[in-house]
Amino acid sequence: MQGFDPALFEQIEFLLLAGIVLVLAYLALEHKEIVYAAFFFGFMASFVAGFFLLLEAPFIAGMQIAVYTGGISTLIIFAVLLLPRAQDSTLEKFATPRARQISLVIAVVVTVMTGFLAVLFPWAESFNEAFVSISQDLNGLAQWLWFENGIYVQMIALIMITSLVGAISLLRMDKAEQLGAITGEFGVEAKPVLIDDLQSAEDGQSVPEPKEVDE
Amino acid sequence: MVPLSWYLVLAFMLIGLGGYGMMVKRNLIRILIGAEIMGNGVMIAIVAIALFNPAFSFTGQGLIILVISVAAAHTALAMVLMLMYNRRYGSVDLGTSVEMEGQ
Amino acid sequence: MQTSRLFLDFIPVIIWALLAMALVIIMLLASWVLRPHVLQNSEKTSTYECGEEPVGPARISYPYNYFVYTVLFVVIDVMGAFLWLLSSSTLLWANATKYEVVWQVVVFILIVMGGVGFVMKMIPRSFLDGKETLDVYRRAKAEREKEQYPTGGH
Repeated sequence: MQGFDPALFEQIEFLLLAGIVLVLAYLALEHKEIVYAAFFFGFMASFVAGFFLLLEAPFIAGMQIAVYTGGISTLIIFAVLLLPRAQDSTLEKFATPRARQISLVIAVVVTVMTGFLAVLFPWAESFNEAFVSISQDLNGLAQWLWFENGIYVQMIALIMITSLVGAISLLRMDKAEQLGAITGEFGVEAKPVLIDDLQSAEDGQSVPEPKEVDE
Repeated sequence: MVPLSWYLVLAFMLIGLGGYGMMVKRNLIRILIGAEIMGNGVMIAIVAIALFNPAFSFTGQGLIILVISVAAAHTALAMVLMLMYNRRYGSVDLGTSVEMEGQ
Repeated sequence: MQTSRLFLDFIPVIIWALLAMALVIIMLLASWVLRPHVLQNSEKTSTYECGEEPVGPARISYPYNYFVYTVLFVVIDVMGAFLWLLSSSTLLWANATKYEVVWQVVVFILIVMGGVGFVMKMIPRSFLDGKETLDVYRRAKAEREKEQYPTGGH
């Protein structure tokens, strides 16, 4: 295999991957069923990881598969599972044709302008010509991240726990309005509350009668 | 080697696709998928520039590691907000909250 | 090329992925070709519910308990990715770097685990037991049945 011209190989592989990624991205946005769209997004994330391999970044490729395909794509599929009205594709309304045309024009204009920027700007002269192989150098990357920029890693940790605590407290807060008493580590924490003025947008379902949960 | 402009063109096409998805769609989940596609496009652009500029190599890849983790955290929160929207309005269509404003 | 490129090692992976996609498409196409093509009417394609008439959509809304674990998983997954980078390098062994890096690692793990521990305290005990889930599910089911069979049902 090494007898082949690697430059040609690279171009073929680039075009193949680019075609697959663009097709999958289009399908992820446009498919009528939303479960399919969520799954196509996960599939596309794996092929973008293939792109990172072309770009000599094996650790980023691994992290992309672990976090995007394994985490975010799962989150989206889970959320679709929890929303029964979203799964019914007959209920989904699409944008008016006029809005769609205007947005398409704007997106195409932005893409073409930035495409010109990519092609006409003399990128080759602004960069050094030498090709440094960094793909095997995880030590250098770990040094950059943990040794020189460790403070940003702590900031990321704080961001993550903020979003985690925020998400869980949002999920729990609404539950307190509808169900029985919530008991936690410290005894009964929230009494049930009957909502009288809830909008009838919930299809006329009556709020269930709460009862004490013995714990 | 594949020239840098090819990678950038692909990245900008992904950004354009993501932007189109966020502007046109009415289903909240599709809007979120559009945002994630845009994020992927930006990541490809940054890693491509990191490859072609040796001084930026580690900075680029390290930056992308941080960006991926922030994207994961904020997607989780966005999902929870979507569930709250569903509780309040009964559907994940953007039209339900916009139409009700006039009343 | 001064050194061999990384993606040359991974060409078998993309060949495998393309073959897998081709295999799935070929199997679906083959079954479409071999299938008897008869007209479908609405009676044939309706859902089968052991002889009863199906009423209402087949999707139910699960309680939100399980979503909590997915969000937790994402946060811990990101922490795992950071620690993976650390463990695949010699940063914690080399004398030049280990005294500063180990503090970063300890603080990072403490922050994330502190957040996770706080969340586990916040989740009520009945969440983790599963009793509340069962409660919510039963109540939602009873409500749906009450709606669809106003005269008493079966």
